[in-house]
Amino acid sequence: MKKWIAILLSGVLVLSLVACGNSDKSDKKESAGVEKLVSEYGFQWTDTSAPILNEKGAKELTFRVYSSKNASALDYNDMKVMQDLYKMTNVNVVWENVSESVYSQQKNLIFGNSEDRPDAIYHAGMTTGEIIKYARRKVLLPISDYLEYMPNFSKILEERPDIKNQLINVEDGKIYSLPRIEEMGLLQHPNILFLNKNWAAKAIEAGAVNGLSVDDLKDGLALTCEQMEAMLRYFKENDMNGNGDVNDERPLSFVFNNWQGNQCDLYGMFGLNDNLEHRVVVNDQVIYTIQDERFKEATNFIARWVSEGLIDKVSFEQSQDNFLANGKGLEIYGAFYWWESETVVSNPENYIVCAPIIGPHGDQTVCVSNNPEVSTGELVIFADCPNVEVLLAYFDRYYDPFISAQINYGPIGIVYEEELDEKGMLVQKEIPEGMTADELRLQNAPLGIIYLSDYAWNNVVNMEPRAKLRLERLDAYVKPYVPEGVKPCPVNLQFTLEELNKLTKYESNLNDYIRTNLIRWLLNGGVSDSEWASFQDELKGKLNIESIRQVYQDAYDRYIKNDGRKLK
Amino acid sequence: MKQKDLKDTLGDKIFYAIIEVFLVLVTLVILYPLYFVIIASISDPDAVLSGKVILYPVQITFSGYAKIMERQDVWRGYLNTIIYTALTVILSLVVTIPAGWALSRKTLLGRKTFMIYFIIPMFFGGGLIPFYNVMSSLRLNNTMWAVILPSILSVWNLFMTKAFFQSSINSSLIEAAKIDGAGQFRIFFSIVIPLSKAIIATMALYYGVGQWNSYFNAMIFLRDESMYPLQLVLKEILIATESTVGGSGETILEQYRLANQIKYISVIVSSLPILMLYPFVQKYFAQGIMIGSLKN
Amino acid sequence: MEATNRAPKESLLSRQKAFLRMTPESEKLRHLKENLPFMIMLFPAVLVVFLFSYLPIYGILIAFQDFVPGDKILSDTTIWVGFENFSRFFNDPQFWPLMKNTFLLCIYGFIIGFPLPIIMALMLNALKSRKMSKTLHTIFIAPHFISLVVLVGMLRLFFGRYGLVNNIAVSLGGERISYFLEASAFRPLYILSSNWQDFGWSSVIYIAALANVDHEQHEAAILDGATRFQRIIHVDLPAIMPMVSVMLIMSIGGLMGVGYEKALLMQTDGNLAVSELISTYVYKRGLTGVPDQAYATAIGSFNSLINLVLLIIANTMARKFSENSLW
Repeated sequence: MKKWIAILLSGVLVLSLVACGNSDKSDKKESAGVEKLVSEYGFQWTDTSAPILNEKGAKELTFRVYSSKNASALDYNDMKVMQDLYKMTNVNVVWENVSESVYSQQKNLIFGNSEDRPDAIYHAGMTTGEIIKYARRKVLLPISDYLEYMPNFSKILEERPDIKNQLINVEDGKIYSLPRIEEMGLLQHPNILFLNKNWAAKAIEAGAVNGLSVDDLKDGLALTCEQMEAMLRYFKENDMNGNGDVNDERPLSFVFNNWQGNQCDLYGMFGLNDNLEHRVVVNDQVIYTIQDERFKEATNFIARWVSEGLIDKVSFEQSQDNFLANGKGLEIYGAFYWWESETVVSNPENYIVCAPIIGPHGDQTVCVSNNPEVSTGELVIFADCPNVEVLLAYFDRYYDPFISAQINYGPIGIVYEEELDEKGMLVQKEIPEGMTADELRLQNAPLGIIYLSDYAWNNVVNMEPRAKLRLERLDAYVKPYVPEGVKPCPVNLQFTLEELNKLTKYESNLNDYIRTNLIRWLLNGGVSDSEWASFQDELKGKLNIESIRQVYQDAYDRYIKNDGRKLK
Repeated sequence: MKQKDLKDTLGDKIFYAIIEVFLVLVTLVILYPLYFVIIASISDPDAVLSGKVILYPVQITFSGYAKIMERQDVWRGYLNTIIYTALTVILSLVVTIPAGWALSRKTLLGRKTFMIYFIIPMFFGGGLIPFYNVMSSLRLNNTMWAVILPSILSVWNLFMTKAFFQSSINSSLIEAAKIDGAGQFRIFFSIVIPLSKAIIATMALYYGVGQWNSYFNAMIFLRDESMYPLQLVLKEILIATESTVGGSGETILEQYRLANQIKYISVIVSSLPILMLYPFVQKYFAQGIMIGSLKN
Repeated sequence: MEATNRAPKESLLSRQKAFLRMTPESEKLRHLKENLPFMIMLFPAVLVVFLFSYLPIYGILIAFQDFVPGDKILSDTTIWVGFENFSRFFNDPQFWPLMKNTFLLCIYGFIIGFPLPIIMALMLNALKSRKMSKTLHTIFIAPHFISLVVLVGMLRLFFGRYGLVNNIAVSLGGERISYFLEASAFRPLYILSSNWQDFGWSSVIYIAALANVDHEQHEAAILDGATRFQRIIHVDLPAIMPMVSVMLIMSIGGLMGVGYEKALLMQTDGNLAVSELISTYVYKRGLTGVPDQAYATAIGSFNSLINLVLLIIANTMARKFSENSLW
């Protein structure tokens, strides 16, 4: 008994020590004021090509940055880019790398351990909600208070109010994170329709398809839904790949609800710019496509194709990897939606790019996805970081397009030649034996906070050939079909805490409800009028779709008002 | 009469037949997926993903094995895991077996209290953040003890040990020893332990395999990658993320393919040592046989 | 044989008791003295549990706070919200579906998964050939080592629309079923694959206990003319009964504690209505949008409370009907 009591007592003692011991701790680092930094360490920030600190500063000041990294990448401390940056700026940054899966578990622990935090987190992946909550707790540094030390970044904010607006998530109007900006114009439309040219030719020659000749089979082909249907039926009923089996062809494939190669373009047949959230902006109004009557019609139409086997049911259960693996070797795909054809099939030259399918009422449009090209929570700095002006000036250098290119693709000397070409742009080096371009890139490029936009593509670095190809395809065969006034509903909006709570409370239930019903309808022949009506009632009732929509609408309205959000 | 002299009755024959048939079926159901893992590990990943690998490997390739074997961190992971497992087994036996014995004794003072003491944390926990902070305060962060110490007592195992002692150690033996004047420690070491080979072996196995397969504590407490256990190393290689940070589709896909190939290889690489050791452990199961009430 | 043992034991004990009755203080002292070794034996275990399980328990208070990682849990800056997190959970429209899904999955899993290792252990033990028994046992534990990701990957391959099972079904004249999209297929797939993976491993403890069974008892039974089957019922089973009871009680106590990983890997839009468990719900909430440790902790604590109640019920019943209870 006594022993038991003794244990209990010592337990309570230790418990209280642990709980209270987490509070006060002696000041670990001290922040020199800006004056001291300038006088002793030669701190300068206005000339973006000169060092930020002098030799003394390089030796005495150190910053700890925590970062997840890709499995193939070198330790950031060993990367030439980082070493070059050190030589250029004299700012000593010590990187602590972990893998991405470790980081996702560690994130909460880092924030939870108030004593031993790094100075900053790179590749932080902070969601808007997290930024808002931590900003309120004064855990994150309000970077916008220090803009005078960041010439490159300030310039971006001035020239691009749309980017600026995406960054101001918190009610107090300040910016708490640094973004990654890679604008290639590719993300808004994650699907392109590809059609097997040879199979289509056979179908036409067999007379299965009306109004089409073999000469029409080139990139940009616009099929009506009747023609597509006939084509798909022909694919289904015949042995197209010559292996003697009539049943192994998959007429039309996609990966259901995947971020790319999804089913949303099919809704374009009915004039709906659907996406995975079913939420898009039309003429500055936030609308939900699932509340539109046309969505019912479209669902029933697609469900009919599914039940007739024109869309293989496996599209609803397969993962990306299965989808891609099945495309290799013997051809079984008649038509499919994906980002590009080269990764899907072994013989991409057999496939042509199609324009969006023309629906029964003449509509012809595509998915508009909400994926942003500006990822806002890429870098956060902790509020208690000492000498933070220096660190910010350092990170500011990353936004210079020349440096951005190297951060994103790899350094001069390994990936790029020392000499620029006649246009003043970076020239790619020969890839060493035994490596692919991507392996080289992943090994030497940390990725992260960059600013690559049109200016960069025209003056600094060439887009990757495959990205260029995709852009050409999109410009020619996809973007022209997006009506005026249809825009993505951005995810980087500024929400008040109350709005955020509403979203947390209602949104995931709403999404689950939509998803379970949608897949059921598509797999089971469609939705009846009465079921559709009760679905709509549920949406408006228990699932509060209107309050959610209002939240986004309010946030969006705030966003487009350029003047309302000034940095405070 | 010796057992061998008796012939099986008809009832017995039917009984054995039923058991054997049943066990054969179960064996097949178990064996096929295991066989699949083996052939998948040497097949081309695309063939595996598209379902072409069924009864035999397709497009045999050892590149996956080569990729794993040539990695330094895999071998270091092996070494680390062996060390962590050995330490865990030793410490856990020292902690669990005596405690299980004590709990099994009806004369234990405050027995009910102890039981409740052990049961409560099975249900109520503070969560990851307080656990992490406690470890931090104990200065165990980034040391191998953060991986070993929390694992050396599992309440399930403790209670199983207790139950084993309750049912398998004949109390007359203990009583006899007490009358002879033996103290509790002497009883424990000279009588109980020699009769407990089965439970010691079982506990060594459960704790050992538990540690061998684990990765979570290592993941959150170890900053230094050279201390990573095997499972964590393999997991890192395995997790090809779905982020678009990698940029072009080609590399992400290459990583996916590698990950899929590695999946099956990692199962084999991590389980082979244990499976090879298991028959040795099995020997101990049959040795705890009582020899009646013989003492001295 | 038992008859002959009884007499000396009784007289020994009664002599002991008679002796002790003469000195009550020395009985208490003797009791304490006898327990000191036990305390020492228990100390390491108590310490480990204290350090790693009891110290962090204060974290449960998070459930009653508005907490963000980095906040202090026990200081004047903590924001207390009482039972708000709990009532939020109870009022969530998903509450009953989650409870139902979790409960059904667990109870079905238990009904199949609990007896299976016992039956297997008994069968393996009954085999005449020791060598066969050992070999089979080694094979049966192998699935335990397959990691979850690989297991679900194999399930998706075997049971996919164009997977092995469907191909066999089609060749026998059946039709293709998308098992992963069918809500009704989720539980069977989940439970049967879990049992497939674990029954061998879980039977180890029973096999160890069976190996300890007194051979003399078996011989006596054979002399009495018992068949092999009767021997199982009357000799083997009682021998492992204490083990079985303990496992039974603890399994009931852990009933609702299923983790999120496997269900999450097996989830599709098609089976979401059945596959969304308390643990997957909490996990997904923690990942997206606003971090809410407190909500997750509240739900987890509620879950644990249910488990504790189940455990108490199970233990009380065990105490009434047998002598094998936990306390």
